[in-house]
Amino acid sequence: MHARSRRRSRARLAACAAAAALALTACTGGGGGGGGQGSGAPGDRLTDEGRVSHLVLGDFSGQTNPKANYNPFSATALGPLWTIYDQLYVVNSYDCTEEPQLATGYEWTSPTELRITTRDGVTWNDGEPFSARDVAFTFNLLRDNPALDTRGVAPGLVGAEATSGTEVVLTFEQPSFSRSGMYLQTLVVAEHVWADVDDPVTFTAEDAAVGTGAFTVKSFNPQRFTVERNPDSWRADTVVVDEPWFEKADAGGQVDQLKLARGEYDNNSMYVPDIEETYVAKDPEHHHYWFPSGSPISLFMNLEQAPFDDVEFRRAISVGLDRVALTEDAGSGYVEVASQTLLVLPGQSDWLDPTIPDEGYLPYDPDAADAALTAAGYALDDSGRRLGKDGEPMRFSFITPQGWSDWTAAANSLKDDFDALGIQVTVETPEFPTLEQDRLVGNFDMTFGVRAGQCSMFQNYDEPLGSANAAPIGERATTNEVRWSDAHTDDLLAQLAGTPDADEQKPIVHQLQQVMVDEVPFIPLWYGGKWFEFTTKNVTGWPSAEDPHAGPDNQHLIFTRLTPVTG
Amino acid sequence: MAYFARRIGFFLLTLWGAVTLNFLIPRLSGGDPAQAILQRIAGKEARVDPAQLAAVRAMLGVPDEPLWRQYLDYLGNMASGNFGVSYTYFPYSVSEVIGEAVPWTIVLVGVTLVLSFAIGTLLGTWVAWRRGTTFDSVLTVTSAFVGTLPFFWIALVLIYVFAITLGWLPPSGGFSGLLEPAPTAAFVADAWPYFILPAAAIMITGPIGWLLGMRNNMVQSLGEDFARFGRAKGLSNRRLAIAYGARVAILPNVTGFALALGGLIGGTVLVEQTFNYPGTGRLLLEAVSNKDYPLMQTIFLFIAVGVLVANLVADVLYGVLDPRARRREAA
Repeated sequence: MHARSRRRSRARLAACAAAAALALTACTGGGGGGGGQGSGAPGDRLTDEGRVSHLVLGDFSGQTNPKANYNPFSATALGPLWTIYDQLYVVNSYDCTEEPQLATGYEWTSPTELRITTRDGVTWNDGEPFSARDVAFTFNLLRDNPALDTRGVAPGLVGAEATSGTEVVLTFEQPSFSRSGMYLQTLVVAEHVWADVDDPVTFTAEDAAVGTGAFTVKSFNPQRFTVERNPDSWRADTVVVDEPWFEKADAGGQVDQLKLARGEYDNNSMYVPDIEETYVAKDPEHHHYWFPSGSPISLFMNLEQAPFDDVEFRRAISVGLDRVALTEDAGSGYVEVASQTLLVLPGQSDWLDPTIPDEGYLPYDPDAADAALTAAGYALDDSGRRLGKDGEPMRFSFITPQGWSDWTAAANSLKDDFDALGIQVTVETPEFPTLEQDRLVGNFDMTFGVRAGQCSMFQNYDEPLGSANAAPIGERATTNEVRWSDAHTDDLLAQLAGTPDADEQKPIVHQLQQVMVDEVPFIPLWYGGKWFEFTTKNVTGWPSAEDPHAGPDNQHLIFTRLTPVTG
Repeated sequence: MAYFARRIGFFLLTLWGAVTLNFLIPRLSGGDPAQAILQRIAGKEARVDPAQLAAVRAMLGVPDEPLWRQYLDYLGNMASGNFGVSYTYFPYSVSEVIGEAVPWTIVLVGVTLVLSFAIGTLLGTWVAWRRGTTFDSVLTVTSAFVGTLPFFWIALVLIYVFAITLGWLPPSGGFSGLLEPAPTAAFVADAWPYFILPAAAIMITGPIGWLLGMRNNMVQSLGEDFARFGRAKGLSNRRLAIAYGARVAILPNVTGFALALGGLIGGTVLVEQTFNYPGTGRLLLEAVSNKDYPLMQTIFLFIAVGVLVANLVADVLYGVLDPRARRREAA
C-alpha cells in the first residue's frame, strides 16, 4: 500500500510540474515588453507624410513612480516639458549663441529696463492666440510666487508689462544685463489658463497642459510618457517626429544600459562605462555618442584656514596635481582636464585671455611644487612629512559625497598627489546632505565644488568669487563656499555687471581669468561630462563632435533640426 | 479574558511608542530635503542654483514651529489620516502615492507569502514524516544551503537567464507602459509577465524557513511521550503525524505567518528594488534616500502598526489555538 501511494504521489507531482512548465511557456509572447523596438531596419518607421512615426527616448524624471505634473515651474515637474512649452530664446549651451523662439528681438533700453519683441502668429495648443500679454503674465506670476521661481528670475524684478500685442517691457530694481540669459530662457505659460488657478504652486496642469510647443500630451503612465506632434504649432514644419516616447529607466541602470546597447533608445543621456565596447561596437554604423564638457569640477580649499590662506601655498599645490591621471580615474577617460581660467574650453575659447600661457592648462610638475612649497616656508622634515608654519606635519581631511564613486576615485587620486608632496590627506565620504551642509557653512578642509560652465560670464565668476556670496565660517554661504573675499575681484565683478556689450565685457573677463591664474582661489580639475548617445537609424542631424550645432540639453533646437532616414 | 485584555493594553502602549519614535528619528537625523530634491533634479555634476534652493524650500514649506507643537499636530494628523503632501511627489498627497503602490505589494508579497507558507509547511510535514531517510537528509541540507544564497544574487541570475539570455520574461518593471494601470482584465494580462520573475525569486528562498521550522517542530512533537503512547495504542503513522504531530507543530508556524503578514507593507524592499517593481518597498527606499519626511513617516507608521497588529493577532490566535497558553497565563 505504501509503494502504490508513493508512486501515485510522484505521478501527481510530475503532472503538476508539467502543467506549471506549460503555463510558463504560454507567457513567452508578451514578455518581451519593449524588446522589439530596437531591432528594425533604417527607414522602418517612415510614415506616408515622410516623417518618423516615433522615437524612443530616455527617462522623464518624476522619480521611480512618476505622477503627472505639467507645471513647468514646479520643482517636481516632469522632465520633457520642453516638448510642450517654449522659451523666449534658447541659449545654445555649446557656443552660447542665442536662438530666437517666442521672442524675435530684445533690447536693454536702460540698465534696468528690458524690452522684448515677441513673435507674431503663434497660437497656444488649445487654439487661443499667443501674445506679449502671456509673457508679461508669466514674469509677474514668478514674481508673485517665490516657490515657483526655480530659476531665480524674480529677485529684483519690479514687474512686466505688455505695451502692445508683440512687445513686453520688464523693469528691474538694479542693472541686470548680466542675468539676461536667464530672463530670455524663461518658459512661457498661458494667461488664459493660469489666471484662474487658485494656487499656482500646487497646480499640475494635468488636464490643461497648454503650451506653444511642438508637441502636445498624448498619454501618461508611470512607465511611459508619450507626446504627439502638434500640426498647428509655429514650427510644425521643422518637426519630423510624430510621437516621441519617453520610457522610464530602471533604478539600477544595468538593465537600462542593456536596452541602450541593443539600440532600443534613439537618444539618451546616460553614463555608460566603456562605451566603445558596450554601445558603439554593437552597431558601429548607427550607434554614436558625444560627451561635450560641462561645468568644471574644482578642488575647493577653505580659504579661512591656514595654510590655504597663503597664495604661495595654493600656487605651489596647483602644479602638484596630476589632472590627467585624475580624469582617467574619475571619468573613465571620457572627461577632459580643466583650465585654470574657469572657462569651459574649447567651447568658450572666445573669452580666453590670450596673454595667459597654455590657455590656462597647468602642467603637472611635482618637483616644481616641492621647491615652491619649501621656498614658501613649508619644508619637509626628516621623515618626509611636510611641516606647516606652526612646525606640525600637515594633515587635512577631504570630504566627498557618499556613493559618488567617480568623485571618490578622483579624491583618492588627489590624495596620492598630496602624499607625494608629503602632505597627509584623509578622504571621508559623508552622506550628501551632511556634506552639503558642511560645505556651505565652511566646515571642511578640502572638498569638490561645481561652479561656472554657464553662458553668463558674470554668473560664472560672481558665484564662486563674489564676496557677497560668502559668509563667515559657521553661517551658510550662498555660492562662494571657499570664502574668497577680495576688493579687486569685487570691483571687476561690479564693472562686469554694468556692461551689456560683449566686446566691452571681454577685457574685464580677461582680468578675472588673471585673478584665477595668479591668485588661485580654487583649482578647476576636470570638466563634468554631458552624456549624450544617439542612433542614426531613424533620424539624422543629432549634434555631435563633428557637428556641434547645439548642446545635448538644447532639445528645443535638436528636435527641430532632425531629418528622417529614408532607408 | 485577562490574557486578551493584557495583550490589547500592551499593543496600545507599544503603538504609542512606535508612533513617537517615528516622529523623532527622522527629525533628529538632520539633512535638508530641499537640497536632496534639487541635486536630483540638477544631476550630480551640475551646479545647484541658490535661487532654486530658495524656491524649493518655499514650496515645501518646512515648518519652524517648536518641536512639541509639531508633535501634537503630527499625532492629530496620524489619527485623522491626514498624512500630508509628499516632498518627492509634490503636490500629490502621501495617501495617493501610497495608495497606488500598495496593491502591487499586496499582490506580489501576499500571493508569494501564502504560497511559501503552504508549500513550506506541507513539504516540512512530508519531510518530517520521512525523517531519518535519505530523502529527509537531502532535502534538509539542500534547503539550508539554498536559504543561505543571497537573495539579490538569485534575482540577478534569474534576470540574466530568463530575461536577458532567453528573453522569455521582462527584466524589470511592473507593467509595460502601453496601458494605464487600472483594475481591468486587459491590464492584468499586460502586467502578469512582470509578476513572474519577482515571485519566482521570492519563492526560491521563501518556503525554506517554513519548511525547516515545520520539520523540526514535527520531529520534536513526534518524539514526545504522547506520540509514543499513541503509537503503542495502535494509531497509524499517518494519522499520528497529521492529526497529532502536525497540529501541534504548526502552532509556531501560524504565529510566524501572522507576523510575516504584518511586515507585508515594508517587507520586500530588496525584491522591489532589484526588479524595479512599483510597490511600497521601493517607495520606502526612495522616501528615505530623498529625506521625504511625510512619505517616510507614513510608511513607517504603516509598518509599525502592521507589525503590532499582527503581533496582537498572533498572540490572540495562539491563545485561541493552544489552550495551554491561556492556562499558563492564568496560572
